[in-house]
Order: sequence, then structure tokens, then C-alpha cells
Amino acid sequence: MLWYKSWLDTRWRFLIGLALLMCSAAGTVLEYPRVAALLPLVHPAPGGGTVARQIQEVVELSRDYRGYVWAQAFRQNLPQMATLFAVLLGIESLWAHSSRSATRFMLSLPVSRRRLLGVRAATGLGELFAITILPPLVVPLISPVIGSAYGVGAALAHGLCLFAACAVFFALALLLSTRFADVWRPLLIACAIAVALSLAGFAAGDLSHYSIFYLMTGESYFRTGNMPWLGLLTSAAASAALMYAAGVSISRRDF
Amino acid sequence: MTDPFVIDTADLRKRYDDGTEALRGLNLRVPAGSIFGFLGRNGAGKTTTIKLLLGMAYPTSGEARVFGLAASSPEASVAVRRRTGFVSEDKDLIDYLTVNGIIRFTAAFYPHWRRDLEERYRDRFELRPEQAIGTLSRGGRTKLALLLALCRGVELLVLDEPTSGLDPAMTEEVLQALVAHVAREGTTVFFSSHQIADVEQIADSVAIIDRGRSVLAGSLDDLRSQYRRIECVFDGDAPQPAFRTPGIVRVRRDGRVLTVIASGGVDAIRDEARDLGSVSVDAAPIPLKDIFLETVAAEE
Repeated sequence: MLWYKSWLDTRWRFLIGLALLMCSAAGTVLEYPRVAALLPLVHPAPGGGTVARQIQEVVELSRDYRGYVWAQAFRQNLPQMATLFAVLLGIESLWAHSSRSATRFMLSLPVSRRRLLGVRAATGLGELFAITILPPLVVPLISPVIGSAYGVGAALAHGLCLFAACAVFFALALLLSTRFADVWRPLLIACAIAVALSLAGFAAGDLSHYSIFYLMTGESYFRTGNMPWLGLLTSAAASAALMYAAGVSISRRDF
Repeated sequence: MTDPFVIDTADLRKRYDDGTEALRGLNLRVPAGSIFGFLGRNGAGKTTTIKLLLGMAYPTSGEARVFGLAASSPEASVAVRRRTGFVSEDKDLIDYLTVNGIIRFTAAFYPHWRRDLEERYRDRFELRPEQAIGTLSRGGRTKLALLLALCRGVELLVLDEPTSGLDPAMTEEVLQALVAHVAREGTTVFFSSHQIADVEQIADSVAIIDRGRSVLAGSLDDLRSQYRRIECVFDGDAPQPAFRTPGIVRVRRDGRVLTVIASGGVDAIRDEARDLGSVSVDAAPIPLKDIFLETVAAEE
């Protein structure tokens, strides 16, 4: 029953996120013929600025279908949306004042707070897994529609990178929810941290390989074909640590 | 051996992060099988006490035991809640569920859930299974919260202001349902209230809490038989006496009349009053409301 309630609590966030990410992935694929048709018309931008270099890189990547999918879907659209929905799924309104009624009712049941949090975390992680794995699989599924092909294994690899990195933001939001009595501060703080890490990744130069967004985009897999196992393990450890901290935090809180 | 006290607190203290001292050394003993009224003004510490008993908050110091288990232990607290039904002051429920949905949800946590009582109370309280909880009236919420507590098949019911916000007819219906349930099931009931009439109607024991401390406790019959208002009339202005007899709760002078509220020693007080020159001394029992008001006023 706890699982059922947890699902009821989060289902709209999950379903909206899943629909948006799947539509985004499908849109990226279906857009490729038009992009490919425009590519011969694109000329190198004058000047050597960062933006010009990045545009040029995207153009070069898009000359081949695999590069286009990575640049548009796995490096840009899906990570941005998945991060937002990871935070939204991680925010636990049960501990907030706005749902005090449900909180007191739940706390009167013979269930430990850690179990409440554990079920909530597991449900959220399951939903996050679906949100990060299913949309990448849309790419190989509908690529034949435009006469292209994309490997299921590659889609799964990118989905796994996306999931592992997003799980950190999910766990962060979960932890913040146990510390604040409203839902807005955890949401804003987690999003602000995500933006700050993203900007730090841009500014870090070669060190950006250690950025969580480097893992999230699956760039090393795209460029070398090797799974970033160390990054995946580090993310899993960070997520576990954040969730453990959330458990400690909630077990000490007065309601 | 079975613990004679279902609830037992010793020097229980709670200070919240904002500095509010909600409990300042509460000592409380609730006998098994009793209907125990927990009286106090708003902000006296009743709800905090209940939160500590159910593990929703943690004491700053002192100890609270329920069924002999430490309420501040997370593991023991789960065991306590497995044996306890709770109705909160705000009749907290999960608003997006239906009546039937929350009944099924709650029943899943209690292996001794009483389906027979569920049907009985659903009919008696006229609760429609498919009605959304968010659309229930205040009375409807109270009835549903009570149904969810009563059907758990538990040994202890903790009710926080169960009749607050209800009209007299609804209050009567809820109290009668409660009394009938207790008579049939033998459950211990611990209920907080500032509605003295409710307590007087159904409780057999009471405790009065004021500013985080228990200032009076005992069986209702004992309190009624012990407490007296003694009115001493003098020829002139009443003197400012210093009674030696123990049990004086409060002394009030008003012209020629000296009113003494005492929890015992009526004869000795009568003798002392006569020694002071009182021309007439009358002792009369006082209702619980006055015991409450005088006790709380004496604390101030």
C-alpha cells in the first residue's frame, strides 16, 4: 500500500516527464531529414569565439546521424529535461507543511520514517529509471521511419549514463525536502546547484571530464565507445550517500 | 506481568527549536482500560504530549513509555503505533483518496483490522464509500477519522480534541459511538480536550495540564468527592487567612465572603474558618469545570 500511495503521489510528475522526454527524443529523430537538408547551406561562422566553435562542432557532428542524435538528444535536450524531472521526482511533499494533514496521518501508521522514505526513494528512482531509459529507446525504435538506424545498445548506454547522473539530483532533492518545510526551496536550491554545476563544467576546460554533466551526456561513450564505469560508480555512491543523509535527517525531525 | 499503566511519562520535557518550552517535566500515568481525559487550555502542551507518545516528535529530556515501550525509540514507536489508533486535532487524512480508498489503505497496516466494525461505523456515520475525502464536511472528516481509529483492532485510542469544531448533535453522536465502542472492546482511551463537558461525560480519569506540567490527576469520581468549595461568611470584611490545612487550592476574598477551593481536609478548614470568626461555613461539591478553572488559575 505504501508503494501504491507513493505512486499516486508522484504519478503526474512521472507521466508528464516521461511524455515530454519521449516526445523530445522522437522530435529529434523526425527532425533529422530537415536538418540534414540544411547542412550543406551552413558555412563556418566568422571569428573564433566559443559560441562559433560550438555551433561549428554541432554542425560537424550533425553530418552523421549518430553524431546528430548525440548532440541534440543525449547532450542537450534529454539531460536538461531529465535533470528537471529528477529534481521534481525527488521533492517529497510529504514532509512539507503544505501536506501536513497527510504527513500526520502517515506518521500515525505503524511504519518507520526510514521505510516511508525508502519506499518513496525507490518509487522515485524507478520512475526516474523509466524517464531516462525509455526516451533513448525511442531513438532506435523510430529511426527506421526516416530511413536511418541507431543501435539499441548505444541508446541503453546513454540512458544508463543519464539515469546515473540524474539520480544524484534526485537524491539531492530528496535530502533537501527533509530539511525544509516547503516544496519551493528544495526545488530552487536543487535546480540552482544543477545550473551552477553545468556552468562550472563549461568553465572548467579539460576538468569538465569530471563534471556530472559529462557523465550525463555519455560523451566518453560517444567518443570512445567505452562505458564510463568509474563515473557511474561515483554517481551511484554519491546518490546513496545523499539518500542515507536524507534518512538520517528525517529520522531526527519533529513533526 | 501486564503493565497497569498504558501510558507512563516521567519528567517529560520538550523544547522546540524556536525556544518554545512545550513540556516542562510532565508526569502522567494512564491506567489500562480507562477513558482518560487530558484537559488543558490551548497551548498547554496536550498536542505535543501526544506527538511524543506516538513518536512524531522527540523529547528534549525525560521519558515517555507506551505499553512499557520507549516512545522515543524509532523501532519501539512502530510497535506502539501498531497497537494504537490515533485521531489528530485537525482530523488529518489523505485528501485525494476516497472514503473507501483510505479505509483500504489503512486496513493494510493492521492485521487485526475489524471488517465488522468498519461496516457498522460506515453505516452509522453515513459515509459514502466513493466520496472524495477532500469534499467531506468537518463532521464527516471526524467520523471517518474515528472509523479509521476504531477499526484498527488496537488496545489504545489516542484522540486529540476529537470533538473540536463539531456541533452539539455531532459531538453527542461521536461521544456515544466512542463510549459504546469502549464498553464493547475494552480499549484504553486517552483523549485530549479543552471541552470540559465532553471529558465529564465520558472520562473516568483526568489529568489537567498547564504550561507543560500536569497540575492535577486522578479518577473523576475521586476528584468530585474530594474537591469542595467552602464559603466562609464573616460579620465584617473577610480576613486574609493563612490556612494550615493541606489541600488548599485557592483562596479568594470578596467583601464578607472568603471562598476556599480545597482538594481535601474540609472539616479541618471548617474548624480553621470558625477559629477566624466565620459566622457561617458551607462546603459544596464543585463541577469539573470549576476544578479545572480553579486549578489553572491557582497555577498562575
